[in-house]
Amino acid sequence: MFSYLLRRLILVLPVAFGVSVICFLLVQIAPGDPLTAIMPVDATAEEQAAMRAAYGLDKPLPVQYAIWVGNLAQGDMGRSIATGRPVAGEVFGAVQNSLLLAVSAAVIAFPIGIFLGFLAGYFRDSALDKAVTAVSIAGVSVPNYWLGIVLVIIFSVNLGWLPSMGAGPGGSRDWSWNWEHMRHLVLPAVTLAVVPIGIVSRTVRALSGDILSMDFVQALYAKGMTRFDVLIHVGRNAAATALSVMGLQLGYLLGGSILIETVFNWPGSGFLLSNAIFQRDLPLLQGTILVLALFFVAMNLIVDVAQAAIDPRIKRS
Amino acid sequence: MLEIKKSFSALMLTAGLLSAQTALAQGTLRIGMTAADIPLTTGQTDQGGEGMRFMGYTVYDSLIEWDLTSADKPSTLIPGLATEWAVDAEDKTKWIFKIREGVTFHDGSDFTAEDVVWNLDKLLDDTSEQYDPRQAAQGKSRIPAVASYRAIDPLTLEITTKTPDATLPYQLAWILMSSKANWEAHGKDWEQVALEPSGTGPWKLEEFVPRERAEMVPFAEYWDDTRVPKLDKMVLIPLPEPNARSAALLSGQVDWIEAPAPDTIPAMTANGFVISSNAYPHNWTWHLSRLEGSPWNDIRVRKAANLAIDREGMGALLGGLMVPAKGFLPPGSQWFGKPSFDVRYDPEEARRLLAEAGYGPDKPLKVKALISPSGSGQMLPLPMNEYIQQSLAEVGIDVEFMVVEWNQMINLWRAGAADPAVEGSQSINFTYFIQDPFTGLIRHLSCDLIAPNGTNWGHYCDPGMEELFTKIRNTFDPAEQDEVMRRTHEKFVDDALFLMVTHDVAPRAMSPRVKGFVQAQNWYQNFSSITME
Amino acid sequence: MTLTEPLTSAPAPEARKGYWAGVAGRLARDPVSMLCLAVVAALILAAIFAPWLGLADPYKGSMIARLKPIGTPGHILGTDEQGRDMLARLIHGGRLTLFIGLMPVVFAFFIGSILGVVAGYVGGRLNTLIMRVVDVFFAFPSVLLAIAISGALGAGIVNSLVSLTIVFVPPITRVAEAVTSGVRSLDYIDAARATGASALTVIRVHVIGNVLSPIFVYATSLTSVCMILAAGLSFLGIGVRPPEPEWGLMLNTLRSAIYVDPWLSALPGVMIFVTSLCLNLLSDGVRSAMNVRD
Repeated sequence: MFSYLLRRLILVLPVAFGVSVICFLLVQIAPGDPLTAIMPVDATAEEQAAMRAAYGLDKPLPVQYAIWVGNLAQGDMGRSIATGRPVAGEVFGAVQNSLLLAVSAAVIAFPIGIFLGFLAGYFRDSALDKAVTAVSIAGVSVPNYWLGIVLVIIFSVNLGWLPSMGAGPGGSRDWSWNWEHMRHLVLPAVTLAVVPIGIVSRTVRALSGDILSMDFVQALYAKGMTRFDVLIHVGRNAAATALSVMGLQLGYLLGGSILIETVFNWPGSGFLLSNAIFQRDLPLLQGTILVLALFFVAMNLIVDVAQAAIDPRIKRS
Repeated sequence: MLEIKKSFSALMLTAGLLSAQTALAQGTLRIGMTAADIPLTTGQTDQGGEGMRFMGYTVYDSLIEWDLTSADKPSTLIPGLATEWAVDAEDKTKWIFKIREGVTFHDGSDFTAEDVVWNLDKLLDDTSEQYDPRQAAQGKSRIPAVASYRAIDPLTLEITTKTPDATLPYQLAWILMSSKANWEAHGKDWEQVALEPSGTGPWKLEEFVPRERAEMVPFAEYWDDTRVPKLDKMVLIPLPEPNARSAALLSGQVDWIEAPAPDTIPAMTANGFVISSNAYPHNWTWHLSRLEGSPWNDIRVRKAANLAIDREGMGALLGGLMVPAKGFLPPGSQWFGKPSFDVRYDPEEARRLLAEAGYGPDKPLKVKALISPSGSGQMLPLPMNEYIQQSLAEVGIDVEFMVVEWNQMINLWRAGAADPAVEGSQSINFTYFIQDPFTGLIRHLSCDLIAPNGTNWGHYCDPGMEELFTKIRNTFDPAEQDEVMRRTHEKFVDDALFLMVTHDVAPRAMSPRVKGFVQAQNWYQNFSSITME
Repeated sequence: MTLTEPLTSAPAPEARKGYWAGVAGRLARDPVSMLCLAVVAALILAAIFAPWLGLADPYKGSMIARLKPIGTPGHILGTDEQGRDMLARLIHGGRLTLFIGLMPVVFAFFIGSILGVVAGYVGGRLNTLIMRVVDVFFAFPSVLLAIAISGALGAGIVNSLVSLTIVFVPPITRVAEAVTSGVRSLDYIDAARATGASALTVIRVHVIGNVLSPIFVYATSLTSVCMILAAGLSFLGIGVRPPEPEWGLMLNTLRSAIYVDPWLSALPGVMIFVTSLCLNLLSDGVRSAMNVRD
């Protein structure tokens, strides 16, 4: 196990390096002057040059890259062009909010997905199975950013049950676990949960269906085990695969919530990213993507290790 | 499922519940701004007019301010932190400002002439300790006339201009005064100051969560008793997406939103929300190229285009929230004057003028126009430009659009009509802040501001106009200066120097609980008179 | 909006001639798949022949006739926020939406197949090089990668195509590599190599035929993700630029009309949903017809 862990950790390093290169390149492929958005429209050429120097954008590219990586190593991700604040602070604050949203969505989606998938797999080809399949396909097919708008109109504007935006009455800084704040989480988390419900239920259906049809399950029945015992048995067998799918889903939820966060004005990393894009705040864009991608890499690592812990056969591959 | 009217009672119920649950004080006003972030809090704000409106004239003051008390007349300059000012009778580059006595910053330190010097250094002197590139980027270009300055005594300030310039008071209305004591108390670090800024304004910034909210409370010791805020608290929330803004208002999460999308207005008024709007110095124009070979060099063509647009018809698109242009400045402006060219819808006359200029149905005039699908203050640029395209086509002007992103548009606007990047476009659709002599008239057409050195995009240069601009700068009596401004604007209109289309009316939607707001004819507003029911 | 895990355990390829006929036969017996095929075919045909269907000009608007409800005479599906005919815009919008939704998968199918087959067949250092680069791209969730690249490049059709293609090349390469590695060790490939055939010939004659169908099946499962993502980019404002008709963009520009006519503003969303649903069901149908397990 230890050697596997070590091997897996070493493999992460080149990936992390590659990720940093891609993030740096992102800024280089961007057309136009990143400072345009923050200068008063009638700033003179001289004032623009002064700003460019203040942001280090007048230096040659390799120097900028070296400085960037060097600073990264010290936890300094540069300064946002639009706000002048350190990128690291902005990104970590936002990632926390996104994590809150992603985990909430996962808490909604995974049990529902597992339950539905299990039902469908267990009663394969029944009407129930067909209904679950329909739900899961609809889940992965619906553009969730559109669903979010519809939910806001129904539950916020018309019924007035739930708030339409923000992370609590006092913003994310005052977050606490009471209904007053959690009600802000309901609509975005439900919207975000729709796709993983579809994917998880599909995966679990396929897994449990397959395992149930295997010989050893028949043997278990033959041994006189009850349905419940068989279910437990099957569940354990499917856990490793299901875990990997869900781990990846959590990563996707974190990186993929940008559209949802925009619709709900949720102060997370996706919202930050969309602001960065529209203000052409490239250091912020770069930093946000970097942190999210590294988080995803870490997530993959954890999933792999956990999978190996559950199912020792995996280590060999 | 989306019947707004039926849900009114439910909505009100929720609003009631909300305020009960969160125990909101009676006097808390929550505003949904269009900016994506809280404007810069340290003094000189960013985020354009909205930044000055919400973070500038709330937390800070300038030496000279705009009178924001009346909705019925264009606002004029009034004393702010300076009680009076005058140019030297002998040397027209020397100005003396009397500083208001007894003004204190939120941190308790006194405001003196030394503080003005310190603040000007913050923007203009990059060797000074307090120089802040972020504030300088916002403020430096606002005071091009200023050459030097000194405090004669704690209550007397002298400013010297590069050349005689009577528009200096307008320029100084931009410059906001932050506290030196507070900056020193925060380790001389502007970033720390940003979290706990201190100005002399009627509001104190109490809490500030970047990108999420800013909370302001009244400054009880404000020097102008009539402007001590009545509210307990004002909360600013950035909500850049128009529909998120509308939903937040309709679901009772904010009490006031800036710039509601026109299509959401019927739903808002049907639910009892109030739409406030008023004319203000803003215009939406096509800035025309006057380079050699541009068809817009022919006054008949310029007049024809101005006569071809049914501006009232365009109102439908904007939910009626616009003022049809009668000139470059809004019709109610103190500087409008009495132009002889009547900007109106008269397609017959337009066709006649075009025919006279040598164009007709068999020989349509082809023009290329630069537009952007979005942009701050641009209203609804795509539909509006398509409307203009249709209107011009009807009189025989074929418009080809060059569509570029807003940031690129700003670059092309800076670059000017002669830059190869505009690909021969003969006009640029831009909206202008036209609140003072410089931003309103001079900067667009002055010979020494021809792009890329300045903001004269079209390379217009006319000795007659230049003479008027010089006269504006050299007329130190405000009433006489206004008279010159009127002559100048008359020339703008009579020569049809722009395609004059419309003026925005700064619509804002608010809950019926918001009382006492007077929407001044200005980019800035006074929030002190507001109460919540 | 998420990539499903690539099939690393590809089925044993059936290269017999009757194979595709069998697949088609099985597909034809599945009513759901046939219905979806009909819908997708109709959408594609409508998109291709849109200019000849006698529709209104999708760009020509009228300020007087804006936001007419569904069922207005002359505008069966109403008009949008600029008074343009919704039916015409939805059908013309299908052109761009399907183009940007499907072409990246097609491009990625070719690029990813070539990379994957080469990596899988040649093996060694080349394999390591290609697959490690692929790993790096896998470190980005697909939505994030698409938005990052599009966000940096700016809006535009070409930029969207580029960013979405980059998103889908790595997963396809991974599948292609896995399948090819599996095929490579089969006996008859060894035999072919033993006869002295060049690597290119072996790949062309023997490998391609065996690996393409599992890669193809995997690629079809990506089309709906790609389409939702493409529309999402436009919805966010970093995809297709106005005034082009595109469903995601239409959804965005009709957002404020939701208070005027919710049904009308829902139409582009419905189109995205139905198309993506059909693509998913069809992909499932093809999978099971080809006896590929989930």
